[in-house]
Amino acid sequence: MKIGLFIPCYVDAVYPEAGIATYKLLKHLGLEVEYPERQTCCGQPMANAGFEDMATPLARKFNDLFSPYDYVVMPSASCAAFVRNFHPRLLKGEDHVCTVPERAMDIVEFLHDVIKVKSLPGDFPHIVSVHNSCHGVREIGLSAPSERHLPPYNKIIDLLQLKQGITIRQPERPDECCGFGGMFAVEEPDVSVRMGEDKLERHIATGAEYITGADSSCLMHMQGISKRQQQPIKFIHVAQILAAGID
Amino acid sequence: MSTIHSQRAHEVLQDKEKVSRHDQTFWSVREKRDAMASAVPEWEQLRDLASAIKRHTITHLADYLEQFTQQLESRGVIVHWANDAQELNEMVYGILETHKVTKMVKSKSMLTEECHLNEYLIARGIDVVETDLGERILQLMHSAPAHIVMPAIHITREQVGQLFEEKDISKEQGNYDPTYLTQCARQSLRHEFMEAGAGLTGCNFGVAKTGDVVVCTNEGNADMSTSVPKLHIVTMGIEKLVPDYKSLAVFQRLLCRSATGQPTTTYTSHFRQARPGAEMHVVLLDNDRSEMMANTQHWETLKCIRCGACMNTCPVYRRSTGASYTYFIPGPIGVDLGMLHDPKRYSDNVSACSLCMSCDEVCPVELKPGSQIYDWRQSLESIGSADPMKKVMSQGMRFLFNNPSVYTSVLRFAPLANIVPDAMTRSRKLNAWSVGHTMPQFAKPSFHQWWKKQNKK
Amino acid sequence: MKKEDLLQKLRQNTKEQYDMPDINIQGLTYPDLFVQFREMTETVGGKVVSARKTDDINQLVRNLYPEAKTFASSLPYINIAQKNPDTVTDATDLNGTDVGIVEGKVGVAENGCIWIPQTMKEKAVCFISEYLVIIIDRQNLVNNMHEAYARIDMDEQYNFGTFISGPSKTADIEQALVMGAQAARGVTVIVLE
Repeated sequence: MKIGLFIPCYVDAVYPEAGIATYKLLKHLGLEVEYPERQTCCGQPMANAGFEDMATPLARKFNDLFSPYDYVVMPSASCAAFVRNFHPRLLKGEDHVCTVPERAMDIVEFLHDVIKVKSLPGDFPHIVSVHNSCHGVREIGLSAPSERHLPPYNKIIDLLQLKQGITIRQPERPDECCGFGGMFAVEEPDVSVRMGEDKLERHIATGAEYITGADSSCLMHMQGISKRQQQPIKFIHVAQILAAGID
Repeated sequence: MSTIHSQRAHEVLQDKEKVSRHDQTFWSVREKRDAMASAVPEWEQLRDLASAIKRHTITHLADYLEQFTQQLESRGVIVHWANDAQELNEMVYGILETHKVTKMVKSKSMLTEECHLNEYLIARGIDVVETDLGERILQLMHSAPAHIVMPAIHITREQVGQLFEEKDISKEQGNYDPTYLTQCARQSLRHEFMEAGAGLTGCNFGVAKTGDVVVCTNEGNADMSTSVPKLHIVTMGIEKLVPDYKSLAVFQRLLCRSATGQPTTTYTSHFRQARPGAEMHVVLLDNDRSEMMANTQHWETLKCIRCGACMNTCPVYRRSTGASYTYFIPGPIGVDLGMLHDPKRYSDNVSACSLCMSCDEVCPVELKPGSQIYDWRQSLESIGSADPMKKVMSQGMRFLFNNPSVYTSVLRFAPLANIVPDAMTRSRKLNAWSVGHTMPQFAKPSFHQWWKKQNKK
Repeated sequence: MKKEDLLQKLRQNTKEQYDMPDINIQGLTYPDLFVQFREMTETVGGKVVSARKTDDINQLVRNLYPEAKTFASSLPYINIAQKNPDTVTDATDLNGTDVGIVEGKVGVAENGCIWIPQTMKEKAVCFISEYLVIIIDRQNLVNNMHEAYARIDMDEQYNFGTFISGPSKTADIEQALVMGAQAARGVTVIVLE
């Protein structure tokens, strides 16, 4: 099994630790991992802003770059959602069938559903509050959406439970949006920040030391607000927790 | 260049407490809806069926309209076909004038708000009395509705009490108890029901096979409006049909659970003809619905049963309130309907969405209000309503991301931005991110750089 | 606007048609219909009383509403009514009724709804009365709305029917629930065996 590693633009620039942890996890599981260096972005920011067509060349590039791999794995639920659910329609005009999108996965679902990880070394003796990001919940099914009448499940929590010593909590309104929304944060800054403040408050109320999730974009948004408020709570991507203690 | 919604939201959000109360109020309704959904094992099946039934009905609408109106006419109901708001208003006024009606009681009808019927009639000397308590309060206050199901949610008991004292509806000064005030309204409205010459209702569902006009209320005001006055006028959107009773059961079970988290409305009334000695009219409204049919991306908005579940779950609606939207219906469905009716005029509301898709998950007819907003956003450019700043940012990103060598170079220099003091980055106009956030720290090294270093080893 | 023009436009603008789905839905069912019906009726603010067909219903109603002075009913076996919705001159004559007494034909356990087809000249009796008594046969309780809609019918003379679940209510003032908005302030359902 050959894995192509995709590191989203803001992970690359702001949270490379999440990318490094993802790489470490995949190597620990004995997988062959490559990182095609000419990668940049999946195209989601432009599409959410209303310029989907600008994302098309990026989708094409992504498809070409990652076609040699069995799976494309990334530390981002929202990018995985965009590639899987939106790249196919952007690539509809192509003369060949593009199969990369269906092989694109977020690291959590990859570990949970494909590798079916049942144990991980290392401990993480801390209290964490799980951030169930919208794309993770409602677009790639990392957990059962609270709106639906479905048997409850949470893949992030399933994996986190493999770490020794960890205490896992969820905030009230467990999958309410944090308000990042990409361009939304720039176009509706007041609503976005208010949503972030409310979400942050609920995470803090769990008594957690860390807020963790599968989307660094949400974490970045809440962290920016947290820093402004000078809150002590820390932020960490799920991959980093899972990789704790692995070299 | 900011949208009207974002500007108004900025104002609304100054009152943090008020926003907290508004947010909590509607979150509670969402929770009640969740409780209902969990208690019905076949909930998701009901939604799937409702969606499929509406898809079928709307794509066979002409046939069902023929069946529906034939049934009505066979029992002496007079059917009118209104092309647009102006025609509807003229028709309703015409009916009232013919019967020399001076006072008309009405129950809630979003359609009449769509057409501005009340203003039209009042200008021509008709005393229009809203009988839904929330709508009546707003009418007396000359205020706009904040929500489609709970229109007066933003009004406090003190405000209602003072209003009622002013209008001589309440006799006890300073008594702001909701039970007392509701009783006062009851007495006052009872008087109106007795005096009215006509009663106007909307229509929640029209049953094509049997010609039933179905009206659902908790207050019983639609029934009072149609049991005393001798003239019943129904205003109804053409898309409100369902084929038969078997289909109706699906919708009746979904409507109130989705709207207010109750298993049913108190009253679910079925009208097939006028009562003895009275007359019944049904005014069917098109107002571009027939045009919307042709919109392959957005015709499913016509499935909407006006339950309001989407706005209750919308984190943006809950914090920006109805006051921020420029269309009379707020929330996700308001964004969609506004764009369908008049995209240039209502494009400001398209920014009011973080694309969280919670609304898609609660919509009882699965019309995907959130996914539709994403699609509307793509069309803003061609309408000429795309925010130039967003476009510039997107173009900048496109340049960067299409040129990997430029991208990686930029990443090398990005950490320099970390040196800029936080205070200097705060400019609402130039740096919207600075509203409420400290700037993110650009990592040194970036992942790209880390990987390069790794592989040199 | 002409009806034919609209219908033609609708047909023209319909791009793709969808079939009617098979509505094979089970719906909530209950081990004890009466118990569930009573529970739901109480949840929505109504009251349920059991009685036998041989009981003195008139006395029962009097006992339920000892303060009531004016009763209205068109039911042949009710003899305590001062007003009869079948014979009043105008619906407004029913205003001031303390207790209206009507019959329900189908009771729904899932939500406490009772189907009341209009069988009297003035249906206002169902709404204008301060309190409403609905008499229903225990045999006529069903599980859910799917079962109810398969059974209900209307009197051809009046062609009106309504499902009533508990008393009229509103929460329009600060979300505070108040019973007795524009119609009945209280409802008692008499379930007959």
